[in-house]
Amino acid sequence: MLVTSFLFLSYGAGPFQAYFALFHEPFATLRGFGYALVRASPLALIALGTIVSWRSGFMYLGFEGSFVIGAAATGWLALLTAPGSRIGPLPFFLFLPLAISFAFAAAGMWAGLVGLVRARLGGNEVLISLMSNYVAIFILQYLVSGPMRAPGSLPETPLFPRATWLPFILHGTRAHAGILIAIIAAGLVWMLLQKMPLGYEMIVTGFNPFAARYAGIDVGRRLVLAAFLAGGLGGLAGMVEVLGAQHRLMDGISGGVGFVGIIVALLARLNPLAVIPTAFLYGGMSVGADAMQRRASIPSSITFILESLAVLFVLAFDALRYYKVNLSVLWRRSPPPVAEQVSK
Amino acid sequence: MNGAQLLSSAFVVTWLSASLRLAGPVLLAALGETFAEQSGVLNVGIEGTILLGALASFLASYYTGMIWVSLLVAVLVGIVANIFLAWMYVTVRASQVVAGLVFNVLALGIASTIYRRAMGNSAVPESIAMFHPLHIRFLSDIPLIGPAIFGQTILFYLTLLLAFVAHFILYRTNFGLALRASGENPAAADSAGVSVYRMRYAGILISGATAGMAGGYLVLAQVGLFRESIVSGQGFIALGIVIFGRWNPLKAAVAAIVFGACDALQLSLQIFGTRIPPQLLLALPYIVTILAISGLFGGKAVQPAALMSPYVKD
Repeated sequence: MLVTSFLFLSYGAGPFQAYFALFHEPFATLRGFGYALVRASPLALIALGTIVSWRSGFMYLGFEGSFVIGAAATGWLALLTAPGSRIGPLPFFLFLPLAISFAFAAAGMWAGLVGLVRARLGGNEVLISLMSNYVAIFILQYLVSGPMRAPGSLPETPLFPRATWLPFILHGTRAHAGILIAIIAAGLVWMLLQKMPLGYEMIVTGFNPFAARYAGIDVGRRLVLAAFLAGGLGGLAGMVEVLGAQHRLMDGISGGVGFVGIIVALLARLNPLAVIPTAFLYGGMSVGADAMQRRASIPSSITFILESLAVLFVLAFDALRYYKVNLSVLWRRSPPPVAEQVSK
Repeated sequence: MNGAQLLSSAFVVTWLSASLRLAGPVLLAALGETFAEQSGVLNVGIEGTILLGALASFLASYYTGMIWVSLLVAVLVGIVANIFLAWMYVTVRASQVVAGLVFNVLALGIASTIYRRAMGNSAVPESIAMFHPLHIRFLSDIPLIGPAIFGQTILFYLTLLLAFVAHFILYRTNFGLALRASGENPAAADSAGVSVYRMRYAGILISGATAGMAGGYLVLAQVGLFRESIVSGQGFIALGIVIFGRWNPLKAAVAAIVFGACDALQLSLQIFGTRIPPQLLLALPYIVTILAISGLFGGKAVQPAALMSPYVKD
């Protein structure tokens, strides 16, 4: 925060004014509050996916891809239920569970494949999942410029039927029910990891796969499950974004959200319950940054600096704490020689 | 020569020339990344480093107009940025993937903030001094392949030369041996008197230098202006090229040209109009890379054994 204050100063704006602009819009105006919720929902879901997979020792980085796959699956389903198409309109209480399970399953299998490669063949999931992002993005690009393209100049699908949109939850804002889905998901992930034997086994797998195998845990199966859940949550993020905010598919829909979601998870220290406030704070700051750019002509990209420095400080702080522990061990070790001399 | 022949020869020329042009910057970044990974560090931060290098060279060229100086500035910025990264990776022993990814976001923030600060909010892109394609007498006049192979900018030939230099350093010098040992078995290297930390710092700084230079390459030889989206995943592609090239600089050069060829084929096919979806060709290099590193063909054995594991000296 202090570092960023200096950044603001260089723009000739007082840091207090700048921080006021950064936080006033999202947290003190209803409109900004709504936008903050809209941005927070997919971030929270991706952060939850990060938590499930990383705590199980599976460094999944393919959230851009699973987001896109989830969005594409949802879009296909939504357009299928358009009036006059093959299935015809579905009531929303039927459509939503269908969309959730379909997006979750499609993106989950997309990521589960990476998990399978890691568990069965020993491939490196970090690089494979990074590469799979591009494949997914090209699949979406193909869909919106080919089979699912709406007539018109832009590569995008037609607008989804109104009946498939997530309901707006705050009157006069764009806030939609996606944030409720994110909150429920956070509760479920917390239950899984903290209260259920299965989640415990997954965490043990993450801490020490050899010990886990020794304790009779099927490590490979836990890894694939972690990958499936992570991808599924990423897919839900895509579903929430297209049904709640965009209402159509287009190229470049993910726009880096898959990586920002990972940062949110890290800022929440991989704690599922801390994800919702962190994602809301992050969503709010990105809304505030846009407001700041309009009013104080400070580029909104400053929030990238703010956020990433925060994570890097957290990382470096962890290391410093580690050094402290190390030193105390040394300190405790030094007396024994003296004691030995005495006993002799 | 009839019409169809003319069309196909024009196709081959544009395709070849574009393949090599697109392969240049990613190969440069991949060469340095090979050093980092051979020393045991997966430097995901090259994506951000390329962006910073691109910005630095753009600003330097804008203010001084001297292209070689601008390229040097890009290299220096890459090195400085990676001193920080190396500190995070090696000294702090942060997770390499996390530190690298977060650094990419930081670099994006820094680059776009500085760019807006320097250029104001003018939407008009400023033009800068650039490298021009060479014209080598006789060689460039060979029909078909002449303009494609001998008509690139000097930076392309420099990059190819660097691939050979990198191969020589890695496999024919003591430094290269020590570097590879640090990535293969750091504890053994340490007991043989190699400073693993120093080797890893060296590997990361080399990757920073080439990534910064790759950014300069993009700006000074290809695009001629700066955009926040100028890198758009080329750093990640370089990571793929390193793996596809099995951590070997010369094979990386081949891999980069294969990547470039797929990318360029899609461009050429769009010009000539075919029914193959261009996205399939674009996705092809990634699919091939995924297959190559999936372990289906035993790729695991080639990977530096201590890749991504921080070294703690006891």
